[in-house]
Amino acid sequence: MRLFALIRKELLLLLRDWHALFLLFAMPAVFILVMSLVLQNAYAVHQGASVRYYLADADASPASTALVERLAASREFTRLPSTAPTSALEALVRGDRAQFLVLIPQGFGRAMTDAHPLPLKLLSGPGVEPSVYQLFLAELRGDLAKLYLQQSLAVLAGRIPGMDAGALDLDAADKLLTTESLYQVSGRNEVPSSVQQNVPAWLLFAMFFVAIPLSTTWVQERQQGTYARLRSMALTAPSLLTGKLLPYVGINLLQVAMMLAVGVYLVPLLGGDRLTLGVSWAALCLMAAAVSFASVSYALLIANLVATGEQATIFTGAANLLMAAVGGIMVPRFLMPPLMQTLSDYSPMAWGLDGFLDVFLRQGGAAMAAPQALKLCLFGLACLTAAALRIRLGKGR
Amino acid sequence: MIQIEGLSFSYPGAGHAAIRELSLRVRPGSLFGLLGPNGSGKTTLISILTGLLTQAAGELRVDGRSMPAEAHAVQRFSALVPQEYAFYPRLSVMENLRFFAAVLAVPERESRTRLEEALGVTGLESSAAVRAEHLSGGLKRRLNLAIGLLNRPRLLFLDEPTVGMDPQSRRFILDTIKRINLAGTTVLYTSHYMEEVESLCDEIGVLDEGRLLARGTLAELLGGKAGRRLTVNLSSPPTAEQRRALAALPGHTLTGQELGLGECSEREFTRVVDLLAAAGLGVSRVKYGYGNLEELFLHLTGRQLRD
Repeated sequence: MRLFALIRKELLLLLRDWHALFLLFAMPAVFILVMSLVLQNAYAVHQGASVRYYLADADASPASTALVERLAASREFTRLPSTAPTSALEALVRGDRAQFLVLIPQGFGRAMTDAHPLPLKLLSGPGVEPSVYQLFLAELRGDLAKLYLQQSLAVLAGRIPGMDAGALDLDAADKLLTTESLYQVSGRNEVPSSVQQNVPAWLLFAMFFVAIPLSTTWVQERQQGTYARLRSMALTAPSLLTGKLLPYVGINLLQVAMMLAVGVYLVPLLGGDRLTLGVSWAALCLMAAAVSFASVSYALLIANLVATGEQATIFTGAANLLMAAVGGIMVPRFLMPPLMQTLSDYSPMAWGLDGFLDVFLRQGGAAMAAPQALKLCLFGLACLTAAALRIRLGKGR
Repeated sequence: MIQIEGLSFSYPGAGHAAIRELSLRVRPGSLFGLLGPNGSGKTTLISILTGLLTQAAGELRVDGRSMPAEAHAVQRFSALVPQEYAFYPRLSVMENLRFFAAVLAVPERESRTRLEEALGVTGLESSAAVRAEHLSGGLKRRLNLAIGLLNRPRLLFLDEPTVGMDPQSRRFILDTIKRINLAGTTVLYTSHYMEEVESLCDEIGVLDEGRLLARGTLAELLGGKAGRRLTVNLSSPPTAEQRRALAALPGHTLTGQELGLGECSEREFTRVVDLLAAAGLGVSRVKYGYGNLEELFLHLTGRQLRD
């Protein structure tokens, strides 16, 4: 009866606080919507056409023209048309209006197979990420290699009677490689979209932000004297904590359902990639429940550590950003240095992310996600125990 | 009802103790007023008595039960009315009462009676459906008190329950408290308002810097030995001869026409009156003892600001 009253009170208070409802439901929905649409063209690897470059061909030879055509055939990169002088193009790239500038010097084609070739020059803008730089460089090197081979064969054909350099298919090497993604949609292998790869991380990030409204509510109750009154009514620490935990886990799960619905239904309507929910509802529910339990328990501990609402907001925001950075939300864990990867092993957000990736990307079942869910539950229990001890010692008042 | 022996308490990190070697007894059925300036330790003492603070040293028993070991048992028959509006502003009066009744584990069959009783005693019947945030200050104080009555407490802690109220609302609350006390509930009441304590409480304790400076009934406190200070205002300035006659009064002070004589017994008082008459000194005003609680309070706690 007590627990029911506590839960009912919490829900009534929330239903009558439009500001809190907006923060709890509209913000995460908008967040996931924006992140899904923003991540649509991540790195231009799959969707293409977002990495732009200028090209100035001072040679205009058959060889340079062939290179320009090869680059233009690439789906990943877009050449911006311009007849401006080189210095003006450099200024544009320096200002990140385009990512790259390719300068082909005069005599480039003629000297290609000489002992002293005239190299082309690749200039990159200050905002170019290393991965994008490597991608463009690989494309350019591949095209140059084919062109060099073609030019070398033409020279050889001039020296070897009967050799037909034109009979050689330079793109035949591409046929020596096939690719296949292990990610499946409706039984078919497909390369997962950036949305599929990134949304689980941001979903997890948003779930941990439940700590802000929860901890500020607790602080308010303390400042109003309501908390002291409840404690003077023989209400035990476990009852107080459970009375907050259950309604907020419910709210957190509703948030998850809403964010997933946005990814599945709303994002495609706005032209984005549709989020697919994996193959196991059980795994999805298990992970959502485990993350909710961990994030709400963590929020309850924060609520008992801080003294004011301002502290709760600032501490939660900063702690969440740090956990997200260490947990691989912002930078994939495999890109981190070894020490940070080890540190990441102990981050609850990393456990949550691994579990969500098991569900959304690796298409595992509940058994696959269970170890991460277990770690999250143990983390939640540790937070609850610490919060209960603070209450019992009278320090969370 | 309450027995305290050598109670001390310090907040972690605080430079001084909030309660120091405090001993006090509050008898069952009394309405005990605890007076003290800001920061004197009143709220801390109530927090210890209600089991909210548990790290105090010393002996503390409430209705024979040892605190804090038996705090939960004490909490079942006692109630705290904090100085803040300790309820939920977004819930209505009735929703607040229902919620706290459920937390107090009031049996379902009794719940309705208790709610009506609390509403009736505090005169909140017509505001039952109003959200607490829309109540006036006086009604909020009444709701705060009503919640404290839900478990029909035998011991009621009221921490400055009339702060910020208009005279009518204050009178209503004071009358209500008196009625609750007359019905058998022991009340421990803290306040800054001396006239409230004078009119309401049958026993009074003065607390400052965590120490109990005085304790007793109003009559005991105002008329006790410590309170027998005699001051006489002469009707005209004394002549040189009259001044010589006053020399027979040991330790006296003369400031203008005001003659201060310090602590005097009743016999000494008579002697002073006789001497003044013999010297031909007229008297315009005589002050013997403390006129009211505020004078005693200021004498005991000093006049310096505390906040």
